[in-house]
Amino acid sequence: MTAIVEAQGLTKRFGKVTAVNDVTFTLDEGAIHGLLGRNGAGKTTLMHVMTGQDFATEGHVRIFGESPVENAAVLGRTCFIKESQVYPDDFRGKHVLRAARWFYPHWNDALAQRLVDTFQAPLDRKMKKMSRGQRSAVGVIVALASRAELTFLDEPYAGLDAVARKHFYDLLLEDYLEHPRTFVLSTHLIDEAAPLLQRVLVIDKGELVIDADADSLRATATTLVGKASDVERFAAGREVLDRTAIGAIASVTLTGLSEQDKREAASAGLETTPVSLQELIVRRTGGAVTEEVSA
Amino acid sequence: MNAIATRSPNATTPQRLLNVVRLHVANPFPTLVAPWLITFVIFGLNLAVWNIVAQAAGGVENLDADAFQYNGGILWIVVFMMVVGVQAMSLTFPFALGFAVTRRDFFWGSALYFVLLTVLYSTGLTALAWLERATDGWGIGGAFFQPFGALEESLNVVWFLFFAAMLLFFFVGAAVSAVWVRWRANGLYVFFIALAALIVGGLWVVGQLDAWAQIGEFFSTTSATAIAAWTLPVTAVSAIVGYLLLRRATSKG
Amino acid sequence: MDDGRPIFLQIAESLESQILDGTLLEEEQIPSINALAAFHRINPATALKGVTMLVDAGTLYKRRGIGMFVAEGSRERLRESRRAEFRDAHIRPLAHRAQELGLTSAQLHDMITKEMNR
Repeated sequence: MTAIVEAQGLTKRFGKVTAVNDVTFTLDEGAIHGLLGRNGAGKTTLMHVMTGQDFATEGHVRIFGESPVENAAVLGRTCFIKESQVYPDDFRGKHVLRAARWFYPHWNDALAQRLVDTFQAPLDRKMKKMSRGQRSAVGVIVALASRAELTFLDEPYAGLDAVARKHFYDLLLEDYLEHPRTFVLSTHLIDEAAPLLQRVLVIDKGELVIDADADSLRATATTLVGKASDVERFAAGREVLDRTAIGAIASVTLTGLSEQDKREAASAGLETTPVSLQELIVRRTGGAVTEEVSA
Repeated sequence: MNAIATRSPNATTPQRLLNVVRLHVANPFPTLVAPWLITFVIFGLNLAVWNIVAQAAGGVENLDADAFQYNGGILWIVVFMMVVGVQAMSLTFPFALGFAVTRRDFFWGSALYFVLLTVLYSTGLTALAWLERATDGWGIGGAFFQPFGALEESLNVVWFLFFAAMLLFFFVGAAVSAVWVRWRANGLYVFFIALAALIVGGLWVVGQLDAWAQIGEFFSTTSATAIAAWTLPVTAVSAIVGYLLLRRATSKG
Repeated sequence: MDDGRPIFLQIAESLESQILDGTLLEEEQIPSINALAAFHRINPATALKGVTMLVDAGTLYKRRGIGMFVAEGSRERLRESRRAEFRDAHIRPLAHRAQELGLTSAQLHDMITKEMNR
């Protein structure tokens, strides 16, 4: 895989606040990446810097091998959809799609129309009068129909209900299979999006804490429940993410258990439960991931 | 797995600037439709008032010939261009940035749009001024499309006055708005305090030099065309300042 | 398609189960990576990983330019390995518990026979 995005020692400070702190990573061309983390962790800032909409304080970022800042040649190959997108006054949904046609060279009208039908986007309504979900729908339509080589989606489905989100996942996957390209998706709803992700980057307080293959990450943590002494024997020498106990019964969440270890644990009468990606990230980033309240 | 193999044909600079122009007319209503509608409404009201006054006086002939000729109603459109300039920077800019447009392309594409709009409106208003002259001031000696004595000027001059004034207001609006986009409220506080200081300081200097008479003389002896021409360098400086401010601006509040 | 374990393992297991129960016959072509990805709503890289795992294990083989096929003798080999897994995952803990409860091998055998005849 070739790197479509390279960030080296990337730091972004707003006054005294460090939003992104010395982050180094690469993104794979043709992969769907999850950029995960809590609110205010620095995901949006990072996307702003990757698309040249904001300027790095230190370090550098390259997309398609070049700096994105004021670089029309590489920016024309990207699409960045965010919940906080500002629209010109009096812009209606149809004006947004009309403009999208001019700015995205791979724009596909047929796909856009299909998405409009699927999400029942009210194109005649003014953007500022739309509900959160309707604005999100317009954003999702632009993101997918743009067919940009590198697409960033920041909380793309805020306010969309479960049915609309399922449509989004299905259509994203379907179009990605037909037209493979690179996606970077930030979301709160980790478990929902997890099956689509190939790479996972977790950012916490501006720092990159996890950068891994989604599948290997999923395999990294296991919760063991059983007699405290047996549980502790397994926990010895391993990274413990979480530990609780009631009397003689203990529960620990461990990383680095092999299939063999798990079988041994089962043989020793311990109950083994795999830890979901969301749970794992919650534990790694210290605290509850804010659940999105859907309309 | 192979990603999209074809490199997109990179749009050339003129194409990209043209796209920004198109972005401004994606919704044509605010800049191409509304101004004419409002202009005609204001004009209609003026016409109505003139007719009422003329009727009350028992006929136009009972009034001074220039009774309806010192009207500034049309100047609203010049002020409106400033609003267009402000909105382009404060609302269309973050939107364009979100659509992967560079600040450079956005600013100069918008500047191109401002010039096109200015030409369009100057020409349209001058055509109406011509009609006004041809109909003897809409039959009652009115002057709406030739504000403040522009009646005596040639239509070319009328066109140039509209052109220079609107262009100035566009770029001043854009530059001031760029201060907001770049530094938000704090930037505007500093800007307006500096502006106020400059004006007060300027007045003080004029007072100290006892130069009021000279200034009055300058405005009475210099032609409207020359004064309008003097705004062009100011407009150009506003454009450059606007660009420099926007070049490092971000879309965030 | 998500019980917390790596998805590629779940994909591999679902294909294995289809081979075991005869849904997929030996020498039969399996669905394409994209079809698997679309059906299970997963990233195609993950589907590929699951299939590759089965290719490495000899359960599937690749015909260049055509696709993936179920290897000859896969069903029997899978059955054997599933039996071994069954022993590890169920019989071992069962034996362990039985010992804790003081059951003899004969008693346990008796219980199992009764359960299986129910």
